[in-house]
Amino acid sequence: MELPINKNKPLIMHVDLNSCFATVEQQANSHLRGKPLVIAAYTTPNGCVVAPSIEAKTFGIKTGMTVREARLLCSHVIVRDPDPALIRDVHIKFRNIFQDYSPHVTPKSIDEAIIDFSDMTHVLRRSLSEIGTEIKYRLRHEIGEWISCSIGIGPNRFLAKLAAGLQKPDGLVTIDHRNLLGVLEKQSLTDLPGINTRFEARLNAGGITNAIEFYHAPMDVLKKQVFQSILGYYWYQRLRGWEVDAIDFERKSYGQDYALQKHTNDPHELSKIIMKLCEKMGRRLRNAGYEAKGIHVSCIYRDGTYWHKGKTMQQTMFTTLDLFRKALWVLNHQPDKTKLVSKISVSCFNLDKNPGAQFSLFDNEDKERLVQDATDKINAKYGEFVITPALMMGMNNVILDRISFGNVRDLENLYDEPSG
Amino acid sequence: MINEKVSVISSYDRMKGFVMPKKMRWQGKDYILIKLTYHHKIREGRNIQHIFHVTDGSMDFRLRLDSETLHWTLEEVTDGTAN
Repeated sequence: MELPINKNKPLIMHVDLNSCFATVEQQANSHLRGKPLVIAAYTTPNGCVVAPSIEAKTFGIKTGMTVREARLLCSHVIVRDPDPALIRDVHIKFRNIFQDYSPHVTPKSIDEAIIDFSDMTHVLRRSLSEIGTEIKYRLRHEIGEWISCSIGIGPNRFLAKLAAGLQKPDGLVTIDHRNLLGVLEKQSLTDLPGINTRFEARLNAGGITNAIEFYHAPMDVLKKQVFQSILGYYWYQRLRGWEVDAIDFERKSYGQDYALQKHTNDPHELSKIIMKLCEKMGRRLRNAGYEAKGIHVSCIYRDGTYWHKGKTMQQTMFTTLDLFRKALWVLNHQPDKTKLVSKISVSCFNLDKNPGAQFSLFDNEDKERLVQDATDKINAKYGEFVITPALMMGMNNVILDRISFGNVRDLENLYDEPSG
Repeated sequence: MINEKVSVISSYDRMKGFVMPKKMRWQGKDYILIKLTYHHKIREGRNIQHIFHVTDGSMDFRLRLDSETLHWTLEEVTDGTAN
């Protein structure tokens, strides 16, 4: 049976801060406004552009380019490091504004959020477009006059996000059953959120070349031929405005990584970095009330090759020292230890929510947990890395504070911070 | 990064609960700060650092007020030219 278009009132709002990292810098530094600016992970020529400003985008500069490429496109582009504390503050302020309108606010990344009004129809006295206009006004007045956002309104998360991308910057677009087909007619497949070039190739192989053909494709074709899984059915529903994405995924792992400015194969240097990564990862793990059974280490080498190994342990890991010992043990399994490491990642998985629930046979382990708890409390009170393992001495500026963008799970640690 | 202690005159508006650095002396020169473009806080353990992004009209300054010591530090100066 064919599924009709969802004709319910569109009650999902997607808010996307325009060129967030760059716009926020322009808000804080008025002399950067109206100029091509890129925020790069590192300001060195090989540093990756994290966010170009709206002005930089007009030169063709895109996220993911290197600083060198950005300078080739625009010789006078300004390059700056990210300011994580500033970005986090803006994120908290915009989330607080959104929560004035609905209790159901889901941050999707550092610069995107979904406001769900589905449970609020009985108290909504005005249209979502009016609320959207007011949110834009409040962002400008309460956060800063340079801050703008694109807002999309739709009957489901997918169409709301698509709507938010239709008019950038500073747009406010609604997609509902009346204009859905008209909007889809103008979109290519990769214009649709969630359709990358890999999916596009799959759809092309099924004879689908644009968004409207995707919409008209029968469910069986999508499910059995194109996606060959339930994904085809989900896309069939999504394109008709039915909600399939309102799912909170449980956290499965915690991880940290570090791109080494000076590539090395020195075991002592690598162990220091592993220790700091384990300390940061361990703090997040313990703050969220987890312990882990699995540990995974990966390395990207200077020659472009990659190695990784994961291991599930019998005993759970809770303290930084636990994580460090196991990570180092895994790292020692590298087949070729002479290769220079350019990037190293550590993650832990097989998470358990109740640390310490299982008593250890060994008294020492409980003592280690108590020491770790005390250390975490001291660091929380007096500042990160006030007490650190001796191996981390002299590493204050190694592994800088960074914001992962696009990964909503990492926002969970953010909401304890004071907002301005 | 500059990270130099500076002398600052600030104002406090009791109605708005708003603090604004008004004048800064840095390396013997006075700068009249005309606009606060952004203010936020950073928690460092139990201590709160206040970060004020201000401008004198020709340059932008990032000032840090340590709430424990009440010291002002000039952290950064930007004039908006390419680096």
